[in-house]
Amino acid sequence: MEFIENYMYYIASFGLILIGLYIMLVKKNLIKIIIGLSIIDTGVNILLISVGYLKEGTAPIFSREGLLPSRMVDPVPQALVLTAIVIGVAILALALTLAIVLYRHYGTLNVRKIRNLKW
Amino acid sequence: MVNPVLLIIIPLAGAFAIPLFGFISKHISKYISLISTLAMAVIVGFLVPQVINNPIIVLIGGFKPPFGINLVVSPFSLFFAGVISLLGFLVSIYAIKYIYEGDVEKYHLLFLLFITGATGVVLTGDIFNLFVFFEILCISSYALVAYNRDKDGVEAGIKYLIQGSVGSSFILIGIALLYGLCGSLNMADIASQIHSVNSPLLSLALVLFLTGFGIEGAIFPLNAWLPDAHASAPSTISAVLSGFAIEVGVYAVVRFVWTIFGALSMLHFLAGLGVLTLLVGELVAFRQNRIKRMLAYSSIGQIGLIVFAFGIASVAGVKGALFQIASHAMAKALLFLAAGYMIYRAGSKDISSLEGMGRRMPFTSLAFTVGAFSLVGFPPFVGFSSKFLVIKAALAEGQLIFAILIGFVLLGTIIEGSYFLKVIQTIYFKGGEDSSNKRIEAPICALIPMFILLILIVVVGVYPGLISSVLDSAASGFLDRIQYIKTVLVGI
Repeated sequence: MEFIENYMYYIASFGLILIGLYIMLVKKNLIKIIIGLSIIDTGVNILLISVGYLKEGTAPIFSREGLLPSRMVDPVPQALVLTAIVIGVAILALALTLAIVLYRHYGTLNVRKIRNLKW
Repeated sequence: MVNPVLLIIIPLAGAFAIPLFGFISKHISKYISLISTLAMAVIVGFLVPQVINNPIIVLIGGFKPPFGINLVVSPFSLFFAGVISLLGFLVSIYAIKYIYEGDVEKYHLLFLLFITGATGVVLTGDIFNLFVFFEILCISSYALVAYNRDKDGVEAGIKYLIQGSVGSSFILIGIALLYGLCGSLNMADIASQIHSVNSPLLSLALVLFLTGFGIEGAIFPLNAWLPDAHASAPSTISAVLSGFAIEVGVYAVVRFVWTIFGALSMLHFLAGLGVLTLLVGELVAFRQNRIKRMLAYSSIGQIGLIVFAFGIASVAGVKGALFQIASHAMAKALLFLAAGYMIYRAGSKDISSLEGMGRRMPFTSLAFTVGAFSLVGFPPFVGFSSKFLVIKAALAEGQLIFAILIGFVLLGTIIEGSYFLKVIQTIYFKGGEDSSNKRIEAPICALIPMFILLILIVVVGVYPGLISSVLDSAASGFLDRIQYIKTVLVGI
């Protein structure tokens, strides 16, 4: 039980990453594949946050008496996640744009049928 | 003294200036990308004599490493920056006339962002910063591959996007693990404490980095996106994608494997992987009948040779790898640029439609031939010197495994020679005299960069000494991990 309590965030994040990978590998609909991509992104962001997370930690600002550096949450991963989210949004937007154009060309989103180029 | 951070600022500022100048005239955009890349090339030229003896460390925001972001301008990084800016400049001359359909402004904006990303990756000394620049590089290249918005381009673009963004997620997971283990994002700081970390997660992180950057570097078996993307993109973009984008991926791989992880045991594996990539690329290229697809597979082969040379991990080997990067960048850019107008005039991407091109476009055909000969490695062209260096370095190791791998490399070269000679035969000797085949040469904007590349290939091929001093200091600087850590953290 203690194991789950300690590693809950890691389990959740790797779970999300694996779910996303599974969706990307198995699903044939392009939109679903893109959703899988987004789930992987979420999982990675949770992983980054949980690397610097402390239970009942405080913000890393000496705003009042009695705050110890050892109880402060590491701010670096949070800054990283902010950037990672923005990058994720950019990729998602571009992917959906390309999916729309692709649909106009082929009239389908099934990746098995979109095979103009030989693999 | 020129501040190296300008190498990143200039293309970035240029990219964001393009929409603003777009209010005045739509035609300014192409000259902005021309001027920005030229300025970068000049700055690299100024930096070379300063950097060749001791690397410059630029602190962004004044924070001392390991805090804050820093740029490490070592000869090794600057060599890549030089290739990027020079090739970017030549390609943007070519693009003045070649890119006329669609949203020309957006093309140039994305092109400059692409250059920004590539330069940032090679100059930065911080792994998360590297990731951000890498994403700038990748996202702009996804968009550029799909620039024409035709069937092939969009399909190739989305394939590239899906594979590339899975790779990027892997890199980010790797960064999270590495940060959790070392508590730092600075490359030198991580490198200094990586051998005291004892955790199985470390090898997981290394594998994730290898996979993630390997996708961009098109190392077998992660190269499925490359032939589609390179073949369907506009020819200018194929030239830069082959010329330096995949090399930037290889740069990141060797930077992580060697400088950060110091994983000596991985190097033989890398060498083997390189030879496998080479053989697969060349064998598949042999049976292609579309010209740009063939060139794309040949890029995979060349990347294999570069990875193999890095895997030797002696000064001579790294020098050979860098020389091979330079020679591949010149030759493959020349081939793609020449093929661009040949396809345009022939109206088809098939090799068979290039019959009689030798009479219709004599200079372009000559450029294509020189590029092909250089890539195969005929003397007096630059490809001969670079391949010779790689093979010499591998034989100097004196191990049986390298002798066997060299055999495979030479086999790959023979296959490469055979398919390039087949194309050259089609260009010059097939197709009868036809009155409809009038001489229409490519426009002058396209001929200038091809001519410059052709001259460079011949001159550097005849006098390899011109760049070998830079390559020597780049190679020895790259292999000295301890010195790298000292330079960044202590400042010696």
